[in-house]
Amino acid sequence: MGEVIVITSGKGGVGKTTTTANIGAGLSLEGKSIVVVDADIGLRNLDVVMGLENRIVYDLVDVVEGVCRLRQALIKDKRYNNLYLLPAAQTKDKNAVSPQQMQELTVELAKEFDYVIVDCPAGIEQGFKNAIAGASKAIVVTTPEVSAVRDADRIIGLLEANGLKNPQLIINRLRVDMVKRGDMMNIDDMIDILAIELIGVVPDDEHIVVSTNRGEPAVSNNESIAGQAYRNIVKRILGEDVPFMDLETDQGFITKLAKMFGFVKKR
Amino acid sequence: MSENAVVFKGTKEGLYILIKEDMDLDKIKHNLNDKIKPSKRFFEGAKIVNFKGKKLTKDEFEELKELVENDYGMSVLGDYTEDPDMLSDKEESKEYTQYEKLPYDNVVQDKVLMLRATVRSGQLIEFMGNIVIVGDVNPGAQIKATGSIVVMGTMRGVAHAGSNGDYGTYVAALNLLPAQIRIGDIISRSPDGLGVRASVPEMAVVKKGMIFVEPYLPNR
Ligand SMILES: Nc1ncnc2c1ncn2[C@@H]1O[C@H](COP(=O)(O)OP(=O)(O)OP(=O)(O)O)[C@@H](O)[C@H]1O
Ligand SMILES: [Mg+2]
Repeated sequence: MGEVIVITSGKGGVGKTTTTANIGAGLSLEGKSIVVVDADIGLRNLDVVMGLENRIVYDLVDVVEGVCRLRQALIKDKRYNNLYLLPAAQTKDKNAVSPQQMQELTVELAKEFDYVIVDCPAGIEQGFKNAIAGASKAIVVTTPEVSAVRDADRIIGLLEANGLKNPQLIINRLRVDMVKRGDMMNIDDMIDILAIELIGVVPDDEHIVVSTNRGEPAVSNNESIAGQAYRNIVKRILGEDVPFMDLETDQGFITKLAKMFGFVKKR
Repeated sequence: MSENAVVFKGTKEGLYILIKEDMDLDKIKHNLNDKIKPSKRFFEGAKIVNFKGKKLTKDEFEELKELVENDYGMSVLGDYTEDPDMLSDKEESKEYTQYEKLPYDNVVQDKVLMLRATVRSGQLIEFMGNIVIVGDVNPGAQIKATGSIVVMGTMRGVAHAGSNGDYGTYVAALNLLPAQIRIGDIISRSPDGLGVRASVPEMAVVKKGMIFVEPYLPNR
């Protein structure tokens, strides 16, 4: 039985879809079999980020409504082995699927794949409830902004209330220069409030924008610092103990990251 | 609080209104009004399992029931009874005798809700009695108690103590940085901007009709 992981955030635009695509591709590079599920019905874009948009025939709602079989809706990635996409429907809305149906769907997928990664829509309504329904583990993505952290906190509470204990945290789009100037929330402050385990810090990186437009996840780009961050996250998902990377040559910041690594609060 | 003719009591079955034996109907009504008025919204829609304590006549029962239902928007679920077993509050009498000889005049014997968790944005912890949180209360979370609130961690949300109008209650935290503190119907908000405060344990109390925040442990 594979593991079902939901990637969620509360606030929109913080990097859930980017994270889903990169973790999916990264796990494939590590030899795992993966299906990424776009649960953002009505606003799909995981297919675009992965460069698979032109191959969609059937989608998640078709599967749930019995229009096609599950196998028929799965799109094989063009670059990565054993990586599949189950796309969202674009012409329906979140209410086209129920949490019960999503749960049954992910159970089916988990029989065939090592990892089922669900890309959750923003918000806390039906789409969120659907996306978390079948998950056994959650990864919360936030950016270093007060409003994003506030929403992440809200989401963590809702995940815990729905039995998804101990979610893990990814801080995305960190800008070291801004943190150093004190213009951005620092990592310690975020962990202090959210009180969950950190599994990755992804710097703000223009490679992400380029790769998103090309439909090629940054995780396989050795030049990309964000790609490196995602490779580390993948290893941590696989249970490896990877030290947090030096995002800066500044000694103070390195020691801070090292400290933070040992300092993650577990409750 | 002056005379406690009535007490709201939360039990496993739900909420009871406990009435002292030797109170007449007027006093009871008066006291009910005093208790409910300051936080009418809090009580609205509350379900009362029944009245307990004083043996009421059928007429008195109906009158109180009507008052509670029509004037305060609560509903009384139970029926009239004269059964002494149903009326007696054994737990309560036991509690009172146990602490009778304590040499303090400020002992609070209300129920306490203990919660060991991080209370997160969007979560509301509401309790008839005192609340102790062993953990942090994050921005966007709200803690509301008829009694006092103690946070063994950082309080960053909204704390509302004495929500029935009791100004004798307090809010204490190891690190008190709330967005807002309310005690009874008095509201005080945190100063705008990112004020850096010494992180010593602090306590908010009402003095002269205003909320004051003061350290409650010597700052060593
Ligand atoms: N680390 C990063 N560096 C630079 N740009 C980034 C980074 N992460 C995400 N972005 C950009 O931010 C935008 C939003 O990212 P993405 O679509 O992954 O967010 P989302 O959380 O899925 O949004 P939505 O809530 O709309 O589904 C995209 O344009 C993406 O390229
Ligand atoms: Mg998205």
